Amino acid sequence: MLRAFFDNLRLAAGTFIAHPLRTALTLLGIVIGVATVMTMMALLEGLRLKVNKDLSQLGANVFRVDKWPQGFRFGGGDRLNWNKIAARPVLTLDDRRAILEHCPSVKRTSASSWQPGQRVRTAMTETQPGVFILGTTVEYPETSGVVVANGRYFNEQEDLDGRQLAVLGPDVADKLFPSLDPIGQEVRLRGRPFTVIGVLERRGKVLGLFNLDNVVLTPMTGFLALYGKRRTVSISVEAHDLERFEPAMEEVTRLMRQRRRLAPDEDNNFEVSTNESMAKTLNDLSQVITAATFGVCLLSLLVGGIGILNIMLVSVSERTREIGVRKALGARRSRILAQFATEAFALSLVGGLVGLAIGLGLAGLGRWALGLYTAVPIWAAVLSLVMSSGVGLVFGIYPAARAARLDPVDAMRAE
Amino acid sequence: MLIELDDIAREYVVGGELVRALAGVTVHIEKGEWVAIIGQSGSGKSTLMNVIGCLDTPTRGTYRLNGHDVSRLSDDALADIRNREIGFIFQNFQLLPRETALANVELPLVYRGEKAKVRRARAIEALQKVKLDNRMLHKPTELSGGQRQRVAIARALAAEPSLLLADEPTGNLDSATGEEIVKLFEELHQQGHTIVLVTHEPKLAARCPRAVRLSDGLVVGDGPGEQVAFGGLRP
Repeated sequence: MLRAFFDNLRLAAGTFIAHPLRTALTLLGIVIGVATVMTMMALLEGLRLKVNKDLSQLGANVFRVDKWPQGFRFGGGDRLNWNKIAARPVLTLDDRRAILEHCPSVKRTSASSWQPGQRVRTAMTETQPGVFILGTTVEYPETSGVVVANGRYFNEQEDLDGRQLAVLGPDVADKLFPSLDPIGQEVRLRGRPFTVIGVLERRGKVLGLFNLDNVVLTPMTGFLALYGKRRTVSISVEAHDLERFEPAMEEVTRLMRQRRRLAPDEDNNFEVSTNESMAKTLNDLSQVITAATFGVCLLSLLVGGIGILNIMLVSVSERTREIGVRKALGARRSRILAQFATEAFALSLVGGLVGLAIGLGLAGLGRWALGLYTAVPIWAAVLSLVMSSGVGLVFGIYPAARAARLDPVDAMRAE
Repeated sequence: MLIELDDIAREYVVGGELVRALAGVTVHIEKGEWVAIIGQSGSGKSTLMNVIGCLDTPTRGTYRLNGHDVSRLSDDALADIRNREIGFIFQNFQLLPRETALANVELPLVYRGEKAKVRRARAIEALQKVKLDNRMLHKPTELSGGQRQRVAIARALAAEPSLLLADEPTGNLDSATGEEIVKLFEELHQQGHTIVLVTHEPKLAARCPRAVRLSDGLVVGDGPGEQVAFGGLRP
């Protein structure tokens, strides 16, 4: 049995060597399919691991209070009523202060709010209108992981005084002050002067979608004065320790319901979410993308499979005489079937392996050249190999069965 | 008795019409005999060869090969019989063009499930018998016609079958090379091999100790080769 398998493998290798170009072209569909799925998986898994790590660095004791729900929900029965959510009261700095004062399990809080798509000006030049302005409290660097590379962050008193201070993302700093130390310079947001006190360390892009360096951080009070006092803030709450995490969430929820005078039968009109729930959302999202990617890959493998079907039919009709001779000399049907099925299987397995190598290479290149986070999950590599060789087997069976059914006398007469 | 063909008939339907290729053939062949089957094209000799070679089954009659009834077997059972009992030698050699002479000779042993080592040793032995052991790593395209036919004979011998079945073995060879091949058959006959040789050439049939003449699917002559080939002796 095993001997027959190796004999068949040797025969398959012989066929590939005899027709290298034909073999390569046939493989292309499968190679592209598997390479695509491996590259996508590597990027997706890398991003997922990175974000999970970032979230866990934010601390296990931290949760957030928001007006808007986090991210997306998949497959959940309750559809969100956006009009109702939009009508919720905003969260304010007073809410934040109240949480700190009235919830004994809470160690500290921070607040943030943001305004996208802003233009930042100096007397000399200006940025594109794509800068992200973030109003923050003094705890922000500790709770978000940003690092001030040059200069300093503002302090509590400066925030409370409503000072107009700015900490620039490196992209904004480079654009506005290409040849000048930005510290102590003045930038204008909506025409108001802000003094630059710091520049952030470069963090890079997330999948090329969101640029973490194209930002300006300002004290919360100044931010609200500029962009509107009625906007909602997002409040991060840190419990004293993990033991008091759940109690802290309960205290905050009770306090917020009290402040908003909600009747016992009314739903919360605010959202309390943990990093875990954010991680879950992200993982759910990445599962959907994974499934979609495999779907696309399956389609591409199908195309590759049809290529294999075609070339195997050619191979069988070209080798009709050979098949006749083999049968005359005592090859059973199953042996001929196995020979051609092995050829199709080996063909697609080689395609899968080449695709896998290319996918891993692209992922490595992305990591090295673009600084992307990539990681290839073993299960995805195995699954795409199984899928590609399975496609070869499925599409190889019909030509192989045709070969096995040939009559030896007729087959040997073929030209 | 090695071959017992009794009242063998083989009919085909071609284009809606019944063609009777064999109409009741009875031939018995002993171990160690060298028998020519001779006839014009259309006489049924190719069909008879296919039946003897277990490549085809008769529609009527019984065929016992080496004591076993093989007239009603399945495809796979016939494949096993061919592999064990019959060494084929074809007019156009039927070698696999991409394989070396050695690999070609090994082929029947591959389908018998022999180990690679055993296969190799026996194939080399067979190639030595046909004096081609110096060219065993050549591919068929690098060999002359006579050499190719000797590879085919080695392939037939390697499996140590009870019957060598040759179909016009000199048909594609010039007369000098053909003579070499006939001499090789004579040697094999002397060594005790049973040979059935299908041909339309009376001169070749005359070289065989016994010949069977077919015409219109019936045996019309059976006796010493020379007489049947040239005299048309009736049984």
